[in-house]
Amino acid sequence: MFLPRVVKRQEPLQWGSFFIFAAALVVSLGVSCALLAVHGKPPLKALAVLWSGGFGGPFALEDTLLKSIPIFLCSLGVAVSFRMQVWNIGAEGQFALGAVGATWAVLTFPVLPLWAMMPVMFLCAAVAGGLWAAVPAVLRLRFGMNEIISTLMFNYIGILFLQFLVYGVWKDPTSFGFPMTSIFPKAAIIGPISPATLGRVHWGLAVCAGVAVLLAVFLKRTRLGFELLAGGENPRAARYARMPYNLLVLLVMSLCGALAGFAGCIETSATVNRLQPSIMVGYGYTAIVVAWLSRLRITSIALFAFLLAGLRVGVEHLQLDLQVPAAFGGILEGMILLSVLAGQFFDRYRFTLKGRS
Amino acid sequence: MSDTPHTPTAVAPEPPRRAREAHAHLPPVVRLEGICKSFGKVRANHDITLDIRPGCIKALLGENGAGKSTLMSILAGKLRQDSGSILVDGAPTLFASPRDALRAGIGMVYQHFMLVDSMTVAENVLLGQSPDMVLRPARMRDEVAALAERYGLVVDPAARVGGLSMGERQRVEILKLLYRDSRVLILDEPTAVLTPRETDQLFEAMWRMADQGKALVFISHKLQEVLTVADEIAILRRGEVVDQFSEADVPNQTVLANRMVGRDVVLQVDAKRLTPVDTVLSVEHLFGPGLDDVSLTVRRGEIVAIAGVAGNGQKELVEAICGLTRPASGEVRILGRPWREFFAGPPGRRGLAYIPEDRQGLATCRQLDLVDNFLLTTRNLFAKGMFLDRTEATNAVKRVVWEYNVQPGDIAASARALSGGNLQKLVIGREFFRKPEVIVAENPTQGLDISATEEVWGRLLEARSSAGVLLVTGDLNEALELADRIAVMYRGRFMDVFDKDDTAKVEAIGLMMAGVRPGEPETEA
Repeated sequence: MFLPRVVKRQEPLQWGSFFIFAAALVVSLGVSCALLAVHGKPPLKALAVLWSGGFGGPFALEDTLLKSIPIFLCSLGVAVSFRMQVWNIGAEGQFALGAVGATWAVLTFPVLPLWAMMPVMFLCAAVAGGLWAAVPAVLRLRFGMNEIISTLMFNYIGILFLQFLVYGVWKDPTSFGFPMTSIFPKAAIIGPISPATLGRVHWGLAVCAGVAVLLAVFLKRTRLGFELLAGGENPRAARYARMPYNLLVLLVMSLCGALAGFAGCIETSATVNRLQPSIMVGYGYTAIVVAWLSRLRITSIALFAFLLAGLRVGVEHLQLDLQVPAAFGGILEGMILLSVLAGQFFDRYRFTLKGRS
Repeated sequence: MSDTPHTPTAVAPEPPRRAREAHAHLPPVVRLEGICKSFGKVRANHDITLDIRPGCIKALLGENGAGKSTLMSILAGKLRQDSGSILVDGAPTLFASPRDALRAGIGMVYQHFMLVDSMTVAENVLLGQSPDMVLRPARMRDEVAALAERYGLVVDPAARVGGLSMGERQRVEILKLLYRDSRVLILDEPTAVLTPRETDQLFEAMWRMADQGKALVFISHKLQEVLTVADEIAILRRGEVVDQFSEADVPNQTVLANRMVGRDVVLQVDAKRLTPVDTVLSVEHLFGPGLDDVSLTVRRGEIVAIAGVAGNGQKELVEAICGLTRPASGEVRILGRPWREFFAGPPGRRGLAYIPEDRQGLATCRQLDLVDNFLLTTRNLFAKGMFLDRTEATNAVKRVVWEYNVQPGDIAASARALSGGNLQKLVIGREFFRKPEVIVAENPTQGLDISATEEVWGRLLEARSSAGVLLVTGDLNEALELADRIAVMYRGRFMDVFDKDDTAKVEAIGLMMAGVRPGEPETEA
């Protein structure tokens, strides 16, 4: 028998895991190229377009950075709930509700000055997103309902609710029938940090940095954060140590909702300056991929959010330059996730050709 | 026997064995010779020699941790012995995996069944065994039905396993082995999950299988069941076979019980008595799953040991006392405060410390480092507002690691780097750091070597000066060395609670653990 045998690793991989990751990336890009070739597109050229579109040059990097902001925020929330082994895949819906919450604040208090408008917008976004996420949490705790199903369903409801508003009561009378609110007042628009040097990169990036630092401090330094870490690591030990499990589940879900809500608020205010359905492009789902790829670590989340945002931008260029279908972005994202997850097998196991002794 | 609702002996006074002698002339199917197995410094099996003969039910009797399961896991190919050999039909054999053992005709029914709930009985039995590419449900059902009929294992081949009782699932597990023509069937504590009626049915099936030439190994710590069903009895204690009886010379229960729990003094400590003061833990008329009217008090300055074979309600009692499960009815008061009120908040200073048997899975998180593990139950002591003072916690961990000699003492390492004994020292250090006034220790020295055991015992005795200790142990020696009072638990209730100096009762602990009250007429085997 020359079949390789699977053996559990005694020592964890150090640098090897980086090479495995790189190999997984190569494999996923390779398979994607093969798909393109089947489709009759030149694969190498496509790769070049993908790279230059997403990462080659200041304009591409700017685009990528902008897209990575909402992905990063959603992914932080998703990662925190995954840490607690709460499988919240509802960031997309919570993102929508955050956008709705922020828009409600703007439409309700249109004359607030900037210093008051921003906190109110963010607060409303966080509350709306948080409450949207809290409902599945309560359903799970009270009735044992599976949160994967409920959060997924809530995504559809959330997105449709957003559309209901912009097609109906919130529609701008001067928009020639387009589903969108009127443009936000200047005080409700998150502006660029420094148009001269950073281009369109807006203050949402600073929000990301602030939130990441606060979250890191919360997880590492506070009692509740510690309970989250331990509770996710070993639920039985959490029960043994008398941690408030129900409260923790509610907390991580609401936290994720609030962070996704922030993302929705930023996207609405900074990118489109009004609420319109086009903001719903699946950042909440990409966030799940990012959370898994980064193994729930905050610094890695930043890195992978940037990487996947770049792929999204790159695929947009592929669409324009080579008429590759938009779905290719989803395929690429999925390929990367699958191959990296498959590669993680080698972190714990290795193959050996030696027979049984 | 008035308090035991059911004894198998009462139902089946004479084993209906029809062909007990039919296979007596045959040589053993399997012979274990000088089997030794150690886990670290702990000797699980030592020089065990055992014959397993066709047509014969062999009982392996012993307390928890005596080495029964280890021995049978070796025979079933799950573990490899350190030395010694397994002879199948007289030829030395090496098993690299359970598959090899199955191929040699040796199969084991584990306590946790391995069945596919969504499949039918017949599908489960034939899983991976079906000779054809195409499944023929009708033929599969017929085959399984015939097999079930032959051995008296009543179960509907077309039923889905998910809807079956534990007894029926067990029959499916046995049928799986029979379908593979296993010649040796090992049943690991098979009656633990069964109702009395199902137990009787299992015994009848066992007799039938033995009559038809199968060799059976029955692992148990229940004396009466062993006496009812077995042809031969081997008693294991501390990893060694201390006695073997064949059917002709099986003694009565008292002798068996004493041989099984026989007191081996491996370690003695000088436990000076303290004068007990106030009551720190009281349990009154506690009922619930596995518990039947338990009352108990523990005072500061004493150790109360609960002795008994595992699975007689100790776990349920401990979980209720330690706040893991809400008492169904009855009252638990800790330091004078009612259960509900006491367990409302996180663990704090001068409260209750629980040292669980499952140190890896319950008391610690494997992936977290020692500081995080230390903070699990002491987090309230290091809380400053909503923040945790990690600097102070780190210093405290360093002190505890030094004081309790936890090796290796790298506090940044994850808990998985520690051996069982060192992890236990860390857990005890952590729990004692809170200066608890009630301590519940559950088999605190299980799996530890002698020196670690001595250390743990010393700590528990020391703790008496400020706390009341409830010690739940399956190790009689531990109970006798440490305790001031001993309660013997059997089927969810206390047989008796008595002082350690009451020699007559101490002598009778073995019997009480088997459910017999001293002075009552004893059922003869």
